[in-house]
Amino acid sequence: MKSSLVRQAAILAAVALLPAAGEAIYFRDKISWRFAIAPSEMVTVEQAREWGDTAIWVDARPDDEFANDHVPGAISLNEDRWNELLPQFLAAWSPGKKIIVYCSSLSCNASREVAHRLRKEAQLSDVFVLEGGWEAWVKKNR
Amino acid sequence: MKTPVFAFTLSMIMCVGAHAQLKWEQTTIELRPAPNDKQAVGHFKYQNNGKTPVHFKSIHASCGCTTAQTQKEEVPPGDKGEITATFNIGDRTGTQVKTVTVETDEAANQKTVLTLKAEIPQQLEITPNFVFWTKGDKADPKTINVKVGKDFTVKHIKVMSSTPDFQAKVGEAGNGQFKIDVKPQDTNKVVASMLTIQAEDSTKVFYATARITNAPTAPVAPAGLKPPVAPAGPTAPARPTAPTGQTH
Repeated sequence: MKSSLVRQAAILAAVALLPAAGEAIYFRDKISWRFAIAPSEMVTVEQAREWGDTAIWVDARPDDEFANDHVPGAISLNEDRWNELLPQFLAAWSPGKKIIVYCSSLSCNASREVAHRLRKEAQLSDVFVLEGGWEAWVKKNR
Repeated sequence: MKTPVFAFTLSMIMCVGAHAQLKWEQTTIELRPAPNDKQAVGHFKYQNNGKTPVHFKSIHASCGCTTAQTQKEEVPPGDKGEITATFNIGDRTGTQVKTVTVETDEAANQKTVLTLKAEIPQQLEITPNFVFWTKGDKADPKTINVKVGKDFTVKHIKVMSSTPDFQAKVGEAGNGQFKIDVKPQDTNKVVASMLTIQAEDSTKVFYATARITNAPTAPVAPAGLKPPVAPAGPTAPARPTAPTGQTH
């Protein structure tokens, strides 16, 4: 009786595995490609506000979105014109300043990529990504 | 024994039922743009294998750098077509993965994610592309490492500073790598310079920035994040001067 139950359970598990494997194969290209980032490298709007003038804001959105509106004092730094914009950002940066990078919303990836390049290429520390991006900032400040 | 057989049959029926009418030739395209290409374009081809027309409800790219267009809004049964995804490379480097989400009015599988992978070749990898000294620091040289991309052969590189405030000296580091020693003339004034780095016989220009900065800004009480380690002091950023004739 016991061995029969175990056998049946094993068969059921195997049967359940089949569609699961099928789904995994079918959806293999549908995984998220967002840049992985540690929670300690994220900052909320409230935390960022407390940093005041010791933080420098970086807008990673495309030029037209930055031109339309942005966080007061933010510097535009996107990957479309990285080589041109990076020196302008570095001119405004000074040691000890925290860097807060944001893009459009919670689902955008540009801020993560810009933050990654600032850490890797310019070897800057204290680079944070704003949770919720521009949308979250507008919600809390407008 | 009847139960697992039934479960198996049911799961198979459900899998078959979930099959989409719109059959994609491929949902992932890998591209290798040439070094000076401005765009990478992927053509995602499909065919309607169903018996009813399929309508596109929305086509949404994952970033502003990618656009996606369809040839038609309605796909009659048996008809073929494609969605063209155009990725504007800009100044991006390395592996880039951009997605396009396509929503149709099919009964099942209404959303399909199309993935465009592009490997952007980089002739020179410059790390760090920013060196700085705090005002009053000892004027010791700092090193910028230059690594030649795997698909390129570079025997020599040249470096130019936009101002005479910094000297840049190139040395070979072996294994297709170079090092640039950057030395400020003096660190008592806040200055900045842009370094243009070019492989010999190449028109492609890479940039690095050298700066003398003011003392670090005063730390404030952090909100649950690590505090800055630098001591207090004023800030006054200096803007690097672009080298003459520089283009982007």
